[in-house]
Order: sequence, then C-alpha cells, then structure tokens
Amino acid sequence: MSGALLRVRDLTVSVGRGERRYVAVRDVGFEVPAGGSLGVVGESGSGKSLTLRALMALLPRGVRAERGVVELAGEALPFTGPGARRARRGRLAMVFQDPLSGLDPVYTVGTQVAEVPRRVLGASAAASRRRAVELLRLVGMPDPERRAHAFPHQLSGGMRQRVLIAMALASEPKVLLCDEPTTALDVTVQAQVLELLDDLRRRLGVAVVFVSHDLAVVRQVADELAVMYTGRVVETGRANEVLGHPAHPYTLGLMEAVVDLDDTAHAPQAIPGALPDLAHVPSGCPFHPRCRFASDDCALSDPGFRYLGGGGSDRGTACKYPERVMAG
Amino acid sequence: MNPRSGPQLHEVVPPAEQFAATPARPPERERPAVPLLAAQNLRVSFPAGKGQWLTAVEDVSLTVSEGETLGIVGESGSGKSTVARCLAGLLRPGSGTVSLRGELLGARRTREQHRAVQLVFQDPYSSLNPRLSVRSVLSELLVFHGLAQGEALERRCQELMALVGLPADALDGYPSSFSGGQRQRIAIARALAVEPQVVVADEPISSLDVSVQAAILALFADLRDRLGIGMVLISHNLAVVRNICDQAAVMYLGRVVEVGEREEIFTDPRHPYTRALLAAAPRLRPGPDRVEARLRGEPPSPTARPSGCAFHPRCPRAEPVCATERPELLPAPAASSRLAACHFRDEKG
Repeated sequence: MSGALLRVRDLTVSVGRGERRYVAVRDVGFEVPAGGSLGVVGESGSGKSLTLRALMALLPRGVRAERGVVELAGEALPFTGPGARRARRGRLAMVFQDPLSGLDPVYTVGTQVAEVPRRVLGASAAASRRRAVELLRLVGMPDPERRAHAFPHQLSGGMRQRVLIAMALASEPKVLLCDEPTTALDVTVQAQVLELLDDLRRRLGVAVVFVSHDLAVVRQVADELAVMYTGRVVETGRANEVLGHPAHPYTLGLMEAVVDLDDTAHAPQAIPGALPDLAHVPSGCPFHPRCRFASDDCALSDPGFRYLGGGGSDRGTACKYPERVMAG
Repeated sequence: MNPRSGPQLHEVVPPAEQFAATPARPPERERPAVPLLAAQNLRVSFPAGKGQWLTAVEDVSLTVSEGETLGIVGESGSGKSTVARCLAGLLRPGSGTVSLRGELLGARRTREQHRAVQLVFQDPYSSLNPRLSVRSVLSELLVFHGLAQGEALERRCQELMALVGLPADALDGYPSSFSGGQRQRIAIARALAVEPQVVVADEPISSLDVSVQAAILALFADLRDRLGIGMVLISHNLAVVRNICDQAAVMYLGRVVEVGEREEIFTDPRHPYTRALLAAAPRLRPGPDRVEARLRGEPPSPTARPSGCAFHPRCPRAEPVCATERPELLPAPAASSRLAACHFRDEKG
C-alpha cells in the first residue's frame, strides 16, 4: 500500500428502479492518508452524501452501489451482504448532520456511548462505562462524569454533536466520515467542533472525510478538496490551491456565489441556471449549460477527468479548458 | 454572461440582478425623524413550565426607514426570530410597542396594518401551500385585500412574477414543480402582492443552495431600492448582513448588544460578542491572523440568564463589574450613532 489509508475508485451509485433508475454518483475516486483530511464540497444533488453512505455501506433501500472499489489499508470492503458492516466495524465511523436524530431519547448519553465499546470491542460493562466518560472528556465535554447521566434533550446542539463524535470514536475507527456535522450548529459552536475534529486528527491520527456545502467551513478542516457536481468529482487538489486558483468553472462559480464576509467590493454572483435534475443530466460536460467558458464541443463529449501537471499530482479537473477558468 | 444559455427550464436569473452589486449607501444619509417601522422596548416571555418564564426578548428597540435594510444577527436562542414575529404582528409582545410611521400598531392589527408589514419565512418548502397554484396564492390575497379583480388581477399576478424574476407561466405551477430558489421567489411575490411598506425576512436564504443564494439576496436589494420599502433581514450569517444591510443589530440572549451602521459594526466592533462572532465566522480566504481567543462554552439558556452582562461567563474581556452590573446600550464612542452594551465599549478591539 502506498500512503493512502482510504482509497476509493470508480464508485458509482444508482437510485430508483427499472426504467426510472438513474446514476446519482458516477466514477467517484479519491484517497485519504492516515491523519489526513479530505473535504467533499457540493450542493444538493451533487452526490456527496450518497458517496459517504456508500463508503459506510449505509445506502437506503432502492439505492445501489453499481461498481467501484473502497479499500481500507489495502483491503477491499464489500458494499453489501453480512460482511459489509462487519468489515467496517471499528474502522470506519460516521457523524451525521442532525445530532438529535442520531441519539436515542430514552437512554442517557453515557449509556449510548458505552454501548459501542461493549458491543463492538467486547469490553465489560464497567470498562465500557469508564471508556464512555473518557471519550466524552476527549471530545471536550465539560464535567463528563456528570454529563454521562444526561439524556439527549438535556444537552445543547453542540454538546449532542460532541456525543455523536464520541460515539463514532468509541469504536476506535481509522477513518471518520462527517456529513455536514456543523450545519445545525451556531457559528461560535461550529468553530469549536471544527477545532475538535482537527485536534482529533492530530492526536489520534484519524483520517477525516468531511462533506459540506459550505466552502468556507471545508477550508478550515480539509487539506485536500474534492468538488462534486451532479454525482461526479469535477475538481480535486490541495485545498488552498483549489480555492486559490480554481480549475473548474463550477468551483469558480461556487466561490463567486459565496457571500463573503471579507469582500464587500464584489457582490456575490449566482451561477446562472439551476442544478439539473439527476435523471436528466445535460450531455457532454454536465455543467456546460451554466458555464460561461463553454465551447460547442463541451455539449458533445464528456470531458473526462485529468490531472494537471502530470502524474503524481493530485490536482485534477473535469474541464476541457481549465486554462480559461484559471485565467478568470 | 453565459453566451450558451438556451431555453432554461429552471431558475431564471435576470441578467440585471446577476451582476448588480448591492450599492453601498452613503452612511451620512439623514435618518428621518419618524421612522417607517419602530419597535420600542419589546419584551416577550413564554411560559417555561413549573411556573417559570423564559424571557426570549428583553428591552429591544429598533427602527427601520424607507429604502433601508436592518440586519439582525445572533445565534439560536438570541430572540431574533421572536423579534421578527413581533414586528410582523404574528406575536403580541408582553410589553413594548411596534409603530408604523408613528402610528401605534395595537394588539389586534387591522387588515391595513397587517398588509403593511409582511413576513418571508426561511423554508420555502413549508411556507407555501402545496395544493395551491401560484396564481391562486396570489389572486386570493389580491382579492381579499381588494387590490385587484378581473383583468387587473391577471395583470397584477404577471407583474408580480416579473418583479421577482419568474416567467409568467410560473403562475400555473404548484410549489412542488419549483426549485428552492424559485419557491423563495414565489414566497417573496406573495409578500409583495399586498404592497407592503416593510418586508421582514427571517433567514430567507439559509435553506437554499449556495449557487442561488446570491440571486435571492440581489433580488431583495433590488426590490428594496426599486420599491423603496423598508426591510428587516434576520440571519445567523454575518456575511449576509454585511452584504445587503445598511444597519446591523447584534442580539445575544434576547437583548440587542450592539447596533449601528453596518460598516462601523463590522470594521470596529465595540462589543466582545460581536468580535467573537466575527472571529468564529468561517472564511473563504485565509485572512490576517485572527488569533483572538475562541469563545468557550455555548450560549446559556434564556431560563438561566447570567447576572449582570449576560455575556460575561464567555467573555474574554470580562471583569468583576460585568457579573454584577448590566451595561446599558449606550453610544460607542460617545456621541456616535452606534450603540453598544458593554462596560468597555470605548475600547477598540
């Protein structure tokens, strides 16, 4: 194995049945090293959440991983069957957006966190309980011994999100998958949770995959970025390079659309047109009807994904004319 | 702009508002003596069980003038939505008043008074009736308020569509056939149908996709300028407020802690909470080092409001006086139009 802890290749997920089946995630690939962090950015329908769920083997009914490989430390993980969950247990864990729906209202948070070491790692009841308190302390819960006895409704949103992160960490995973974990939180609390994720990555060497629609949030946690549009990865690279010099018109469009706190000189500009319906994705480059750099050939053939600056570089784009985009 | 945009089935973004910068207004503009909409000492409490009361809004006074946008920022529980509901007459304050051009809006508003202040909600998926076509939504309002009938009705409906940047045939659609951005345009058209003098928008873009947020913001700015209405924009997002508002009010635990001209607030905040919000906001570009201490802890519950200045347990600048004496909302610096409720409001951040 060559550096990458988590490696995803050609992941394709389809939704619906029969005639109405359509592809929601197409040929998605990326790599994350141990202790690394990848931010996956996209709007609704970009396939970012389905990608995470496919990695976790948590696809809902009617949604299927058609092809693709997910490798963890060189070992391929199955998508379905009884082995799918077992292969991930203790190695991959996920944190969801809404901290309330991820917790059971009738058990104390201590019990819920302790359940993981007891069932996954086979620890004794007393040891799991101690571990739960330790984990709550690790995620920055003040007064964890007492708070372990609290029920979810007695905690604030930020504290609940910390409990969910503690639960995810309880199985001692190598990779933490986060699906918009701070969207439901206030800004000052969001800043704390982002700091916590960074800290866990450094201290425990956990790799983090962080999905969000918010470029500014992703920039704070991610070393690497993958920008998704209509189920495809359209741009990858080091976060500061991608955001500094976008090589795909969608990335550039998103950056121009963000309402920027520091930039009052330029009004934010919406991307013309609308997100296409996934069942009717435009031909050729799916972004071409909204693209101000597009030529006629963009509608004709899929641009494919290519790496800029040759092999070894992780800077890639699914645009035929990245030089136009980079020139502004 | 886009040379290749063929017929678009979805979002229609008129070119004018695509790139129209929200104009920065001259800050020295005179504010009229009688404001368009004014809230005086609003106080709202809700029963919190066991004979306890939760004070969601306390002693809030705000004003909005014609053609001006007031932004209210704060975190959850700060009382900003409660203020919005009081302004729109959906909630009766326990004490305090709301007045329109100096005329007191009583406990029960008249039809005319309701018309004058309209609300746009956060989530256009739940604020539109799925069983009514856009035309029925608009014509029902127009007829009820006696604003149009017959041919004029249809004409007015089409005008409203044009006003919010939707094609006229959108009138035949039902909410389910529109995207989030389009639905929010419909909700805005509904608010404008009754020719309001003030539009109160509660988090109007936070449930929309990033790529269409800018278009809706531009639409608000454009409508404010073209129709000369007053606007109150509630948001948790500082960037949104900085982008389109003239005045900004920062709320914490039910009180206004700082209020004034937008740029004054953003470039020279005088309340430590405003500074903390600015420091915590995620940035698109790495800026000058923001080494300020991150806020610890979370907003306390309004049922257990800290003594003195409610912010003191989280405040990096707090001194013993902050725990005992509640700072008044006073000019900072002295003789300025900006007010801050901090004992140390004269210090620069």
